[in-house]
Amino acid sequence: MAERTGVIHDIGYRGYDGPREGMGSLALTLYVTGLRHAFGLGRSGRSKVLPFLLLGLAVVPSVIVVGVVTMIGLDSLPLSYAAYLNQIQMLVTLFAAAQAPVLFSRDLRHRSIVLYLARPLPPALFALTRWASLATAILVFTLLPTFLLYVGGLLAGLDTGEETPVFLRSVALQLLLAALLAGIAGLISSVALRRGFAVVASIVALIVVAGVVLIVQEIAAFEGIEKVGEIAGLFSPWATHNGLAEAWDAGGTSTIELSGAWPLAYLGTALVVCAACLALLVRRFVKVGSR
Amino acid sequence: MIDTSGITMRFGTVEALTALDISVGDGVTGLVGANGAGKSTLIKILLGLLEPTSGTAQVLGHDIATESAEIRRLVGYMPEHDCLPPDVSASDFVVHMARMSGLPATAARERAADTLRHVGLDEERYRQMGGYSTGMKQRAKLAQALVHDPSLVFLDEPTNGLDPAARIDMLQLVQRIGRDFGIAVLVTSHLLGELEKVSDHVIVLDGGKLLRSSATSDFTEHTGGLLVEVLGGDAERDAFGEALARTGLSCRPRGQLVAVDPPPQHLSLHALVRDTAADLGLGLVRIQPDQAHLEDVFLTDGVLHG
Repeated sequence: MAERTGVIHDIGYRGYDGPREGMGSLALTLYVTGLRHAFGLGRSGRSKVLPFLLLGLAVVPSVIVVGVVTMIGLDSLPLSYAAYLNQIQMLVTLFAAAQAPVLFSRDLRHRSIVLYLARPLPPALFALTRWASLATAILVFTLLPTFLLYVGGLLAGLDTGEETPVFLRSVALQLLLAALLAGIAGLISSVALRRGFAVVASIVALIVVAGVVLIVQEIAAFEGIEKVGEIAGLFSPWATHNGLAEAWDAGGTSTIELSGAWPLAYLGTALVVCAACLALLVRRFVKVGSR
Repeated sequence: MIDTSGITMRFGTVEALTALDISVGDGVTGLVGANGAGKSTLIKILLGLLEPTSGTAQVLGHDIATESAEIRRLVGYMPEHDCLPPDVSASDFVVHMARMSGLPATAARERAADTLRHVGLDEERYRQMGGYSTGMKQRAKLAQALVHDPSLVFLDEPTNGLDPAARIDMLQLVQRIGRDFGIAVLVTSHLLGELEKVSDHVIVLDGGKLLRSSATSDFTEHTGGLLVEVLGGDAERDAFGEALARTGLSCRPRGQLVAVDPPPQHLSLHALVRDTAADLGLGLVRIQPDQAHLEDVFLTDGVLHG
């Protein structure tokens, strides 16, 4: 801030003749602001606590794993990338559930959406940009610990040629996972405008359903009816992630082994669900704009 | 600035606007009407947020159906309802809104500081808006509407919820925007008296129909009558009024003043007032022309058309 002097000069109203940014820059500004807000940056001190606490909890075990690998001198990670994410599944989901309302409920609840929509950005682009911010925030959340595992593992002497393709495949799956979680949690938050409702509903949709799916898969595996387990996996982003991680060797383990065309079916379902969430989000914001 | 032709808006069976043809020029234009007359609906249509059932409109030379993004780049909008997030400071929020209108980062910061000063938010601008009074919130809302230096602003009920002093401040600000800032203003209100003070032109809506559109001076033109104040209290005022009445004029008390209706034939009203006062030995304090008020015109027009 400029240094204050004792006198305030009233210079009258000044117009603005400078450049005005195009639609792309507007969307980029909104995207970056949204990404920062998802981590509480640029907001009150209190709103930074939860995201960074969760991020800390998600990262600490990866540091410990790297420490163990270094000290004992293992020749592979005891918990590889996708398997690690499965272990911190609860933290990732909580982060998505808690931060989605920041991006999707706030503007609707306080009606500041009206001010956005009275500006050049069309409602559809607004919704998609918000989703991209949340998906990126979730990706950062999952990428940070897995990247630490990867770099730490390499520094501890793991084979680069073996680890790199596994890590890259895990990153690709993380992209898919982030897109799905952001779509589902975002859609829920844009409908349930009270933060508490949105968080609880997202947790039910993501954590409770994932738990039920896991139970069904365990039972199916125990009873030897693979088909039921494979179908059940379609209903949870986490089961999808784990199933694909095992099938495509992204360092993951799954209760159910996907056979034949199932991996493709999983990928296809995930993409369709993601697209459906986006379409509903866009519809929601277009409708709000005309009210 | 704005030209509409045959704008009709139907929500289900309710017709909110009926074949509206209006045109708005420079300066301050008041859009008057009771609650539910269609003022906010019209603004939303002009912003391209609502699609009219039929009819076309041009804002700043751009068609609302095809170039609404361009319109939204050039206009500012202050909504009627609360629309401020409580956990952000006015300063941060206005900067962000400036950026969302396409201003580069540095310009956005400079203009946000400037605009907040113009609307009268100084030190408070660094506080979170959740703790603001209604007056401060209205100022913050106004600042975000002006921050990108629009060519036209829509102010939807800017005096809503303000106390009388804040109301006057806000109206002066609206007038300054139209006259000193050189930004055309379309300001709505359901209070007619407010707008006659600040607007150059008034459009009256009633039940979604155009009741009247003309310059404010036409509404408030001189009626030919006079307002006279004499020294003393109610007794002197009444004595003076009765004396005037005896000369054949019709007059009545209005507050401390005596309102004299326009004389029937062209007799010298001022001379008569002077002589009457002199005869009674009363001191004249002031004589001023009596003006019609927007309410009068609106009410008579309303009766005629309604």
